[in-house]
Amino acid sequence: MIYFFDGTKSGFLTAFLHAFDDPDALLTSKKAQLTLGQTPVFIQTDESKAARALQRLRSFDCEFEHDLDFLLRSGMENNEQIAFRYVRFLAKIKRPIRNQLAESDVFAAVECMKKIGLEIHHFHGFIRFMETQSGVLYAPFSPDNDICDLLVPHFRARLPQYPFVLHDVKRKTAAVYDGKNYFIAPLDKADVLLSADETEWQALWKKYYNAVNIPSRERLKQMRGFMPVRYWKFMPEKQ
Amino acid sequence: MFDFLIFICYNSVMITQEKLTILTESAKYDVSCSSSGSNRKNTGGIGNGYVSGCCHSFTPDGRCISLLKILLSNDCIYNCKYCPNRLDADVPRATATPDEICELVIDFYKRNYIEGLFLSSAVCKNPDYTMERLLLTVKKLRTEYHFQGYIHLKGIPRADSLLMQEAAKYADRMSYNIELPSEQSLKLLAPQKSKESLLLPMKELTQQKIRFTEEKRKGQYKGHFLPAGQTTQMIIGASPERDGQILRLTQSLYRKMDMKRVYYSSYVPIVRDSLLPDIPAGQLREHRLYQADWLLRFYGFTVEELLTENENLSTEFDPKCAWALKNMHLFPVEINRAPLELLLRVPGIGAKNAHKILTARRYAVLSFEDLAKMRVALKRAKHFITCNGKFFGAKNENAVRGLLAAAETQDSAQQMDLFHLLSTPQNALISLHGQL
Repeated sequence: MIYFFDGTKSGFLTAFLHAFDDPDALLTSKKAQLTLGQTPVFIQTDESKAARALQRLRSFDCEFEHDLDFLLRSGMENNEQIAFRYVRFLAKIKRPIRNQLAESDVFAAVECMKKIGLEIHHFHGFIRFMETQSGVLYAPFSPDNDICDLLVPHFRARLPQYPFVLHDVKRKTAAVYDGKNYFIAPLDKADVLLSADETEWQALWKKYYNAVNIPSRERLKQMRGFMPVRYWKFMPEKQ
Repeated sequence: MFDFLIFICYNSVMITQEKLTILTESAKYDVSCSSSGSNRKNTGGIGNGYVSGCCHSFTPDGRCISLLKILLSNDCIYNCKYCPNRLDADVPRATATPDEICELVIDFYKRNYIEGLFLSSAVCKNPDYTMERLLLTVKKLRTEYHFQGYIHLKGIPRADSLLMQEAAKYADRMSYNIELPSEQSLKLLAPQKSKESLLLPMKELTQQKIRFTEEKRKGQYKGHFLPAGQTTQMIIGASPERDGQILRLTQSLYRKMDMKRVYYSSYVPIVRDSLLPDIPAGQLREHRLYQADWLLRFYGFTVEELLTENENLSTEFDPKCAWALKNMHLFPVEINRAPLELLLRVPGIGAKNAHKILTARRYAVLSFEDLAKMRVALKRAKHFITCNGKFFGAKNENAVRGLLAAAETQDSAQQMDLFHLLSTPQNALISLHGQL
């Protein structure tokens, strides 16, 4: 059976309780094409049930919430199913399972979480701010996973005096830091007025990028491996 | 108030595109670009350290941009035979002011283009003057611009040791290039530098770091002293030293000088000189040296186990394979019981996979299929391991030898292409570095 839920953590946990004993269960919050013979079940989120499940699972593994949070942030097609199988295995074993790498359910979940960690690390480097007239730094980007708010602590620690906006254009949300606190807000499109020097600095950066390259030693495949093409859209040096 | 002041001086000294290009072009052959090892905290200025290091972009040559790699000046009074910026060379010259560099760093940094600064300089006027300018720039960046990101500073040999000591308080990492792997070669090719002028500052910094760490522990000293340590770099193949000799030097640098990294750059002839060889050293040799270097640092090998002093590393096998083939009596090892030290010595199993195996085998007896499922590379490893008593490798030593050689050619076919490409004159500059 396919279990549809609303994509929230509580929704997932409710669906998890419903699907626990079903060997062919498939959990998803995305629109999916039903194949012949599959029956869809639409799960109504039940906060109290979810809270109980969470408490129980946390008693098996105190870092469970972090894992679940990461797995639900993943942009992978079947991330919710991976999360379901991981959590079901946890509920069976009743103690932390993340080191049991020979179990394929665990390995899939661990790989999925690793990908998110890696993307966060990537964007610590690949985010490109532009300076606006008001002095706010603005950075549009489109990550594979929903990591917008997870990037804030890094930039807040190194640029505490600069207000900035991290804009996830794919999910149409933004993390806004005002110099003291930060919040997440839906943001479809931002009109940005650049500061007077901004284009000049971007030009200097492009000059630097071209000058530091060694043209006779071209290794494009390696470059693309380290810096995937899908990230180039918002990097001035790759325009 | 403070922000306002910075804003004023920003607009006054933006570096010109021409100058930036000249100074970057002269600096780009330096190998080192790592920004790891410093955990400097932000205390109100701009920036902080990132212990694991962070790459901000990648150029079409496949190298990362982490630091803004630039010279303060490329106007040199030295005439090292191998250097493109030597006195006799006909190249455009430029010199930047400390403010130009500081402003460039701050504006690139806040846009998240870079992780910090890698500042070096040609020796202009005299070593003391050059070191003073470098120190001035770094000090300004830290105290006036309140920059707390990463700074890697190249030391100038023969400059006053007080200048060096002062600079170490502001930089995260310093490096003196050892240039060539022996004293005789140095005398021949870089007569204005001597072994002492290069090794002495390294030694002094190492000792001082120990002293400062001790004082800091007792609470007598607040502040930093080279949190990311020292590195060094040498040219391979411009002089007759064997790999065995080079790696012995490397090992002693790691042990005695507490180096974080030793970089190698393979020599390619661009300058015709009777003292320099006409044949490039090739990237494969550099690659093998790095592989051996990793074995020394992360795999618990000593250089004496790998090769004798007058030997070169095998071109056919990587150093770990070569070692394993010489020590077949130690293999196969049982993957479910072997201690970490032995797992690390299995060809094809790296540090990450060794730890993965250690973790996973606590819960289940691992089979060959389990290893494959965990994406442990088995092409080489299968000849040296048993999984729960079962062996899947080749039957005799000669077969193992053949299969490993085949695996090596397969892996490096593409790399080899590039290695050959490199021996053209246009590529020649790649091999060079020195006081760039």
